[in-house]
Amino acid sequence: MRLRLFAVQAVAVCSAALLLAGASLAGEIKGKVSVEGLKSAENIAVYVDTIPDKKFDPPAQHPLIDQVKMSFSPHVVVVLQGTTVDFLNSDPVGHNVYWPSISGNKKLSHNLGTWPKGEKKSFQFSDLGVASLLCNVHPEMNGYVVIVSTPYFAVTDKSGNYEIKNVPPGKYTLKTWSENGKPTTLAVEVTASGATADLTVKK
Amino acid sequence: MSRKSWRVDASVLTGLVMAGAVIWMVLGSAPKSNAIPAFSRKYQTSCTTCHNNYPELNDFGEAFKKNGFKFPKDDDVFVKQDPVLLGSKAQKEAFPEAVYPGEIPGSLPIAFRYEGNFNWNAKQPAPVVAAGGYIPGTDLFVPNTFTIISAGSFGPNLSFWIDDDISAGASGANGGLGDGYLKYNDLGHIFHLPTNFLNVRFGQFELDLPFTQARSPYLSGYDVFSEAAVAHGPVCGGAVTQCQTANNPFILGTPQRGIEFGGYADNGNFNWSVAYTDGTGSAYGTTTDLVTRNTKDVYLRAYYKFNLERDPESRHGIQAAGPTGPRDHTSIRVGAFYYHGTNQQNFGSTTYAFTDTINEPFYRAGGDLRFKYRKLELFAVGLVGHDNNHTVDTEAGTIASAPAVTFTGGFVGGNYWIYPWLIATMRYDFVNSPSDFVNGVSRYQTRNAFRPGYQILLRANIKIVGEYDRAWQPASYGNDASGNPLFYRPNTFVTGIDYVF
Repeated sequence: MRLRLFAVQAVAVCSAALLLAGASLAGEIKGKVSVEGLKSAENIAVYVDTIPDKKFDPPAQHPLIDQVKMSFSPHVVVVLQGTTVDFLNSDPVGHNVYWPSISGNKKLSHNLGTWPKGEKKSFQFSDLGVASLLCNVHPEMNGYVVIVSTPYFAVTDKSGNYEIKNVPPGKYTLKTWSENGKPTTLAVEVTASGATADLTVKK
Repeated sequence: MSRKSWRVDASVLTGLVMAGAVIWMVLGSAPKSNAIPAFSRKYQTSCTTCHNNYPELNDFGEAFKKNGFKFPKDDDVFVKQDPVLLGSKAQKEAFPEAVYPGEIPGSLPIAFRYEGNFNWNAKQPAPVVAAGGYIPGTDLFVPNTFTIISAGSFGPNLSFWIDDDISAGASGANGGLGDGYLKYNDLGHIFHLPTNFLNVRFGQFELDLPFTQARSPYLSGYDVFSEAAVAHGPVCGGAVTQCQTANNPFILGTPQRGIEFGGYADNGNFNWSVAYTDGTGSAYGTTTDLVTRNTKDVYLRAYYKFNLERDPESRHGIQAAGPTGPRDHTSIRVGAFYYHGTNQQNFGSTTYAFTDTINEPFYRAGGDLRFKYRKLELFAVGLVGHDNNHTVDTEAGTIASAPAVTFTGGFVGGNYWIYPWLIATMRYDFVNSPSDFVNGVSRYQTRNAFRPGYQILLRANIKIVGEYDRAWQPASYGNDASGNPLFYRPNTFVTGIDYVF
């Protein structure tokens, strides 16, 4: 009886240790995106493409896109498929948020309408692709929601640097999306210590 | 029916197809316009923020204009070009020991506008050509008008507007100053009145008309706003010893020099204005010396916009919240206006030595209506004009009162936004003037015109405008060899380009 209890406890401890070891083995993918023919390397989405037989639950916390000073902030947001995004209006003027398609599919167009300052509206993005956010009364306003199939993604800073955290070891395909550049693909292998991947986005 | 009537000229068809293809390609190509006028540059925003069909203003644009060309709320937040401070704001405390601090726009607030049209004129009868001169059937890019516009603010309360046609009509033709004024917002603050209930502007400006003629989106002017009052009958001289004197060149659409007090209340739904002006003599667009008189004129206007939005937030917002985005409020606007002046003639007894300066009071009074609902806009104006008149007998050396010179008129019309870039327009103008009939200006006492049209916004700052003018009551076009007046129907079709930057 005592021996059986000891064995069960040992298995539990080892399992926990293995789990912890697995988590600490997750690394990060970081690097720099360079551009050719584009003005800036900022606001380029970098993400791990679909992993076969892997599905991920969307996060409980909603990302926020604000309408402030007649612009969408942030300009580019990447979300996992199924994520609900909150849209806030911080301006004292009327705006609206709509997208004419998601990656060209006009059946997925949607218009959230208009709401006053300080209020939010939410939308769950269930389809992969890119939604161009527009305002029909201020046509210069533009933003993007990039919907991807894994939770491993980042958006470059002004210098083109990016960092994707908590990526388990393995072989992946890294992809980019940018407003004016062509998509780029790069195979990357992540080890326990992570990986460095520099990409070039061309016009 | 003959087979000939069914044939379509292949060259015409080809031309139409090509024109349509060009328009479609221009509309559909990636919008990379770099052309943005002064306010667009200041706020880095599209023309469509304030205009639903420039220069016509949407509800936001009207609020922007009323607020002294500033965003109605939190203007500083939206300005993308910082102004140049003519003294730090703390200098206010140093006043009057220092010049009160002000500011000027950060970059030169200048915009340009070009308009040029293709004209088609109905064929004239040979006697009309012989008597009045030849008008070509078609004319390209007439009138060419190049306008410079400068507007902006000099701080929280001061704003300005200047527009001038640098070149109008044919090449080298002179234009003229349109509006040139300075405005002070919220003068009523001194008297603890609500914000913007009392504002003042002075300089030269278009009267606060129910529908602006100077910044109308249409190719044609409103006939009744261009109507002058002239007495009927022969002109004194030679064998004619009895004649009537009324000869008032005043027209409502002409910019006036003077000062105007006005304001807004009830969230901008109630508007009033009182202008004190020089009156006749603003020879806009011509090189004729201004004709001045000692008397001053007064113009009054008031209107109320009944906001019909059910949702309280929409009703109180600058624009209504529609299911697909902000839009103009559903509303009915009702207004009235009254202009009073005194025309003067015979200064220094130069025309009729036997009498002093002849004073002839006159007025123009009318009402207006405008209805807006989603993509539809309907409007109407009715107006009556009345000028005192005299009969002069040059042989007897006497002057006596005569029946007044009167006229009535107005217009009704509508606009429909088929798409945000494609607008169908329609307008019916009418003027009833017994004097014009007697004087041979028009064939009948009433002359009217039906004007359907279209506006295509190729970009927010570039448009193609077209208008067909069908006049039922032919206008006079000179006399034949026997002195009989000639009338013909001057139907026209005008279409052309209009762009601002």
